[in-house]
Amino acid sequence: MDATARVEVAEAVRPSSRVARRRVSRTAVRRNVVAYLFLLPFFVLFVTFTAIPFVSALWLSLQKGLLAGPKTFVGFRNFAYLPHDTITRTVLLNTVKYVATIVPIAVFSALGLAFLITNRYVRGRDFFRAVVYFPILAAPAAAAQIWSYILAPRFGLLSYALSALGLGDIYFLSNPRLALLSIALIEWWRGIGFHVILFIASMIGIPQELKEAARIDGANAWQVATKVTIPLMRPVILFSVVMGTIWAFQLFDTVFVLTNGGPMNSTATIVWYIYNYAFRYSQLGLAAAMGVVLLCIIAPISYVQMRVLGREIEYA
Amino acid sequence: MPSASVSLQRRSGRRQWLISLPQIVFVYLLLAGLVVLMLGPYLFIFGTAFKESYSLVKIPPEIIPKEPTLINFRKIFTNMPFGRWFLNSTIVATVSTVGTLLVCAMAGYTFAKKEFFGKRVLFAALLATLMIPGALMLIPTFLVVNALGLVDSYGGLILPGIGGAMGVFLLRQFIETLPSELEQAALIDGASELQVFWHVILPLSKPGLTTLAILHFTGSWNSLIWPLVVVNSKKLYTLPLGLALMRTEYQVDYGATSAAAIVSVVPLVIAFVFLQRYFIEGLTVGALKG
Repeated sequence: MDATARVEVAEAVRPSSRVARRRVSRTAVRRNVVAYLFLLPFFVLFVTFTAIPFVSALWLSLQKGLLAGPKTFVGFRNFAYLPHDTITRTVLLNTVKYVATIVPIAVFSALGLAFLITNRYVRGRDFFRAVVYFPILAAPAAAAQIWSYILAPRFGLLSYALSALGLGDIYFLSNPRLALLSIALIEWWRGIGFHVILFIASMIGIPQELKEAARIDGANAWQVATKVTIPLMRPVILFSVVMGTIWAFQLFDTVFVLTNGGPMNSTATIVWYIYNYAFRYSQLGLAAAMGVVLLCIIAPISYVQMRVLGREIEYA
Repeated sequence: MPSASVSLQRRSGRRQWLISLPQIVFVYLLLAGLVVLMLGPYLFIFGTAFKESYSLVKIPPEIIPKEPTLINFRKIFTNMPFGRWFLNSTIVATVSTVGTLLVCAMAGYTFAKKEFFGKRVLFAALLATLMIPGALMLIPTFLVVNALGLVDSYGGLILPGIGGAMGVFLLRQFIETLPSELEQAALIDGASELQVFWHVILPLSKPGLTTLAILHFTGSWNSLIWPLVVVNSKKLYTLPLGLALMRTEYQVDYGATSAAAIVSVVPLVIAFVFLQRYFIEGLTVGALKG
């Protein structure tokens, strides 16, 4: 009796802590399991359609072969060959030219438009904000079709208007010197709203007293804009430049619909190259290598955007 | 100081207005130009969609069709499987949006509210994928879809589009701001984890979900390159793919392409009119997608 009682006491005192400990670890395990189960559907898709393809994209750039067929390992030969492919230089040059054209034009014109819309004489800001958003709604393919008629030679609205001004017939999309610019015009129309809306939000956020103070000190409107407003918008403008650059480097849809890289490769871009070399010309390795080149351009820009600007914007 | 400036404004308000009249006129002229530039192409193409083929090539071009006709709409819906493309786009965008909302909300909730082993590493890996350009993934994603036997199918069109780090990131940010007391109270009352997610978290996340839904739906509705790569049969085309290939497969018929372009934009325009706020919110978040 005495012994069993002692055992019972011992049982009651000691193992309780053990049970508790076990219970703690069990809830910890349970907590982890619950979390993993909630993540499971997402990560199944993530591994299948992001992680595996990403690793395989890098691996493919070291191989040679057909899309559906045997592939052989060639090391860095694709990268070594890229500069010798005559079209590579054209493609890179076109893309850089396009980026260097569209980004500054978009950002400067968007700044101007944002100043215009936030002007103190303007009523109905929301209406104008909606107006600049409308072109964003169009699919690039739809925007391309819309503009292909406007830009059509002779009977196209813009061609007609310009020839009425005495500029002669303009072949926007079939002139190698104008085709990329015409594509830039369409993309400007479709994308400008993004920058304008961002800038409007930022301008409204700037304390009125700062501008007022500058005005009292004798600054004119131009000085207030360049010395007060724009410097305060710097993070947002940088964000805008970075996003515009990332998108511009990936130009494809409009080119595919309107010119398919032509005339004379004047609108062939990096992504155009990747698509065509992989899915049309069966040059899988070269296409994959060009993909890695694009990654090397985009990833650092994105990294800067996320690390530096992401934080600043949140507090802006 | 404020009261002084107010009375000053009131006294000189009228005269001020007269003095600045030329400026006001100038500003509104510029704004009118902006409206024409942004909406003009839509309106012109809207008119073009109602033109007879002979009036398409008229010089000077007709802004408003003199003899409006529905022939272009009849053409795209009877000579081309445009109705089918519209249906395909609706199916693909809807299913992929619903799927994305579900998996991203579950993951976003977990990252926002749960502690688990490997949380930081997983989230960092997720964020890192935001830096990958889509074109890099084109070939290997095609190979994966091919290995799964999903080329030229709805599955191939839809599945790779479900999920995405951006959606998790957006919803995690949103769910983090929700008070934890609610879910804890529900758990204490005996609700299961799934019930808490479904009945507490999801209803409270509606604004975040709406923003993501719009972002994902419009992206999917407008995307061209993936359907171009994964689909061969004409009956599986989506709207952008059909629109893009109208130029090469059918002789360029500006009446038909105009009608098709307008019809493809209409659903988004209607959605925009009702949900403007979320569209504009999504603009900055969506910028993350890269």
